[in-house]
Amino acid sequence: MDLMIHSSSFLLPSTSAGDDHRRSLTYALVLLNQRLPKFTPLLWEHEQHKFEFAPMEEPIGSMTICLFSSQTKTPPMFAAGIRIVAFKALQQRRGISICFNAYCICLLRENLWFKPDVIKGDMDSVRSEVLNFYSDLGTDVVDESDDQDTTDLHKCIAYINGVMPNLDKSSFCILVTGALGGRFDHEAGNINVLHRFSTTRITLLSDDCLIYLLPKTHRHEIHVNFSAEGPHCGLVPMGMPSRRTTTTGLQWDLNDAEMRFGGLVSTSNIVKAEKVTVESDADLLWTISIKKF
Amino acid sequence: AAEDSLFCSSTSKFPFPPSNLHCSRLGLPPISAMELMIHSSSFLLPNIPAGEEDNHRHSPTYALVLLNQRLPQFTPLLWQHARVRVCADGGANRVYDEMPLLFPHEDAAIVRHRFKPDVIKGDMDSIRSEVLSFYSELVSRATSGTDVVDESDDQDTTDLHKCIAYINGAMPNVDKSSFCILVTGALGGRFDHEAGNLNVLHRFSTTRITLLSDECLIYLLPKTHRHEIHVNSSAEGPHCGLIPMGMPSGRTTTTGLQWDLNEAEMKFGGLVSTSNIVKAEKVTVESDADLLWTISIKKF
Repeated sequence: MDLMIHSSSFLLPSTSAGDDHRRSLTYALVLLNQRLPKFTPLLWEHEQHKFEFAPMEEPIGSMTICLFSSQTKTPPMFAAGIRIVAFKALQQRRGISICFNAYCICLLRENLWFKPDVIKGDMDSVRSEVLNFYSDLGTDVVDESDDQDTTDLHKCIAYINGVMPNLDKSSFCILVTGALGGRFDHEAGNINVLHRFSTTRITLLSDDCLIYLLPKTHRHEIHVNFSAEGPHCGLVPMGMPSRRTTTTGLQWDLNDAEMRFGGLVSTSNIVKAEKVTVESDADLLWTISIKKF
Repeated sequence: AAEDSLFCSSTSKFPFPPSNLHCSRLGLPPISAMELMIHSSSFLLPNIPAGEEDNHRHSPTYALVLLNQRLPQFTPLLWQHARVRVCADGGANRVYDEMPLLFPHEDAAIVRHRFKPDVIKGDMDSIRSEVLSFYSELVSRATSGTDVVDESDDQDTTDLHKCIAYINGAMPNVDKSSFCILVTGALGGRFDHEAGNLNVLHRFSTTRITLLSDECLIYLLPKTHRHEIHVNSSAEGPHCGLIPMGMPSGRTTTTGLQWDLNEAEMKFGGLVSTSNIVKAEKVTVESDADLLWTISIKKF
């Protein structure tokens, strides 16, 4: 069984020394329609923009994908083609300057730094002054009816996978904010996206925790950055029981243990070691708390 | 055989769904043996109607469990409907801090006195000491101070699990079909907590438990029953979903939704019914798997 290595290095400031493995990681950031977590500016600093691709001719759905590379105060260089913005995220962003530190307030007020190429989707949910602001800057505004069969996040992931078909999936990770909390059916739908795209690394983030899928096709090593995450963690057999799960590195390790809803689910566990290993016969969700930012 | 010819005769002669007489001749379990379970969120209404549509049921009775997340805006309404109110550990901090905020024109001390929990339960690692002593010492003419049950040594079950077990133990003779435990603070926050709380619904599948937040509510539809959900459109909806959390569903059938399911398969990795819309006042669900029902709550 192949090994899959996981690390939340995107939570660390980009100036900190790190190993080469971390340096070569590429991220995309998807902002869904709720209040941005407090550490979102840190995520923005991490984005790489050095790959090349041709934008899809018909980008689908309404979503925010932001790719940044700048660690300086000059406006970031946007990667060509991926600047499609979700309406509600756009609305939220204009009202959230008080949540961020001075650097980010500066970033947000300079709205030019976030000029999307295209705004697409359900026009009913965007304020007209927001639409006018961006269309005056040259953004294309394209009305389209909702695609009812897939969630916004599903569309985002499908889009990213489509525009980056040659990317090495083992070093590419899609970070998502705003997928958790709020309406539970939304949250469940977003978690289901992790299962539907089980070969794409997707991490859901909130202020309190992060979640990603540990597919049963691999055995897993999770490298824990104690300065940014932990110690509270859990393993959740979402959608399907696990007959056998084995872990190392946790306070309450599992040893060929059965886990299922209605029985044992590993919650309120504690990370004890810098490296946690997990091997299971079922897809599991790994979740770990994020330290106060 | 006679049974075979009954089955093989043209479909127009074969009643669908088959009657129990046909089922027994074919050796199938009778359809209506699956008991009906009726659900209604009347606790969201200011006045609970007495003896609702199904006149075999008693008026609903409620217990309220408060966990350690921000109280929903409608918590005082739930409190007023509930016969017993149990704070799980840090949930007592929430009642102490946030009930006065829901009554900004009243004196905080008076509000705290009015909303005094009956029990505070759990391992007591989150409750602040001044909150603990406030409730322990509170004495009124009619009742004694809050019962505090310290369970620091039981690490195997979540706070919510302990509260449900406590309530079930304290009310052994209550009619389970009309008794419901309402829970605030179980959703949001740390995902492992939320998953643990959702698991409590599955572990106590014969107890009606409803998890509530400002945005939505969730409860279990056990596979042992077919379900009728009565929707109070003044208080809830229209956004809803059906989620096969623990186990895939091979066959789920619904009525009353925008995108009804017709013997549909649902599973994580495939179809999960989310962002659905309630279209009728009554939604029915029948499934071969335990499902979570969730519906949005209207702005209070």
